[in-house]
Amino acid sequence: MAMLKIENLKVNYGYISALRDVSIEVDTGEIVTLIGGNGAGKTTTLMAISNLVNKADGTVLFKDRDVSYMSPDKIVQMGLSHVPEGRKIFPALSVYENLIAGTMGNPSLSKQRIEELLDFSFELFPRLKERTKQHGGSLSGGEQQMLAIARGLMMDPSLIMLDEPSLGLAPILVEEIFEMIVEIRKAGKTILLIEQNAAMALAIADRGYVLETGDVVLHGTGKDLLVDPAVMKAYLGY
Amino acid sequence: MKEGSYANMWDTPPSYSLYETGEAGRMDYFLNQLINGICQGAIYALMAIGYSVVVGVVGMVTFTHGEVIMIGAFAAYYMFFLSGNQIILGLIVSFAASWVLGYFVYKVCYERFFNAPRHVSLLTTIGFSMLIKNLSQIIFGPNQKPMLDVVEANFFRIGAVQISELQIVIIITVIIMATLLSLIFNKTKFGIRLKAVSQDKTASYMVGINVKRVAMLGNCLGCGLGGIAGLLLAVYYQTIQATMGGPLGMKAFASSVLGGLTDVRFSALGGLCIGIIENLGITVTTASFRDMFAFGFLILVLIIRPQGFVSKKGAKV
Ligand SMILES: Nc1ncnc2c1ncn2[C@@H]1O[C@H](COP(=O)(O)OP(=O)(O)O)[C@@H](O)[C@H]1O
Ligand SMILES: [Mg+2]
Repeated sequence: MAMLKIENLKVNYGYISALRDVSIEVDTGEIVTLIGGNGAGKTTTLMAISNLVNKADGTVLFKDRDVSYMSPDKIVQMGLSHVPEGRKIFPALSVYENLIAGTMGNPSLSKQRIEELLDFSFELFPRLKERTKQHGGSLSGGEQQMLAIARGLMMDPSLIMLDEPSLGLAPILVEEIFEMIVEIRKAGKTILLIEQNAAMALAIADRGYVLETGDVVLHGTGKDLLVDPAVMKAYLGY
Repeated sequence: MKEGSYANMWDTPPSYSLYETGEAGRMDYFLNQLINGICQGAIYALMAIGYSVVVGVVGMVTFTHGEVIMIGAFAAYYMFFLSGNQIILGLIVSFAASWVLGYFVYKVCYERFFNAPRHVSLLTTIGFSMLIKNLSQIIFGPNQKPMLDVVEANFFRIGAVQISELQIVIIITVIIMATLLSLIFNKTKFGIRLKAVSQDKTASYMVGINVKRVAMLGNCLGCGLGGIAGLLLAVYYQTIQATMGGPLGMKAFASSVLGGLTDVRFSALGGLCIGIIENLGITVTTASFRDMFAFGFLILVLIIRPQGFVSKKGAKV
């Protein structure tokens, strides 16, 4: 069953056409990755799904409901979590407060469930546990990224969208983050992962879409795309 | 009720004019002015706290805060009349009246302009403040009204320095309000929402916060505090007037500049500074120069550090 279905999405920024015609499906339990170079329109796709930019055309169906014009916070409250590019944690909130802010998208969480989710976050990212009282803005880049992902998980979403979680991180941290993403899927989450790091993203993804200047030019299973000559040449550096 | 003893209602509170006769020594006069300054500064601090909550959470400037303060003062005036000087009732009603006005300010001046250029809220709030000021002159009358004495005129003396019961009540009220606000900001989920929205609206949407609703409530909260500041000013000066908001809104703004308009603590400090500077300033000049010191302070801060003295974005308490 398609949990998220995007059809013929089109977005313009003034005269710039950022998305021309993007259609993507994410099935329940999948890791789907959206790869593409800088400026291909990956971030814009997520922003359009969350209704944080205006669509010129197209529809977004989430859990079989048309959310194309729903208020962004309502979409989140349906169980769609968006971990933005550049982390966008709350710099002047403590790590703990950032995580509690992450629960706002799910008013039905009980106190006990919130405790469980906090434990889960600290299991995934033990480093955060040592820094609960520290301001988000005082964390290192890698820690901020972990906090952003943990915050996105605190609402116990059905689907989590991760926008370039490995951007700007040291290689060892990048591997750690990808391991976490696999863990998150094991915990029952569906994942839409955006990456420039195509090799690693395709390696853990069930399916992938290749985006170029606002168009989906290729899609297939992660395995197939990894050995696709065009993908290898453009994104894998062979 | 002492009337007519001072030309401009914002010159010097009536009870303190006795020091200008020169009976007490210059030092005593100075110390008493310092106490008057702290008291005045506490009220300015409350105005500024409200102002910075509004600007921080909404993310747009406001020029209606003076009118919000004025409405709080009038609400208290009528409540004191009806209730026979019940100060607690007055506090509740002035908070509520300014909260409600804040709701209309939000609806008219902000709600549709979150994505508009920054100067739009400047225009909408200036226009709306004119509307309220003129409506108030029609409804309440254009003249000064004498405020009722809600606190007995008792004085406590330490040597030649004196502090009135009213001043103590004012300072305590401000401290209680600031503490309550700090508790809301730091100990409740609503506080986390307020802080999140003031720091990053897009990220707030992404965690599922109803940003517009939180901005509305934050705006109303800041306005409610302004209303209480209005009550305090009215009982301190023992007079109110429909046009009193103008210089007050500017002083709230001037105080908040210290904290880059959004840092609550620095705004409070700015208010306190302006109160003290004003009252010490008039010891070396005359009372009619009061505003010159307040806005001199504003200009000085703007020259030295136009971005304020804090680097973090967003409301903080
Ligand atoms: N806020 C914006 N205003 C104008 N153009 C934008 C804006 N955001 C992105 N763009 C443009 O839209 C295109 C797609 O950008 P983006 O979605 O950020 O790509 P990606 O995430 O794949 O790097 C780019 O050409 C970019 O310059
Ligand atoms: Mg991007």
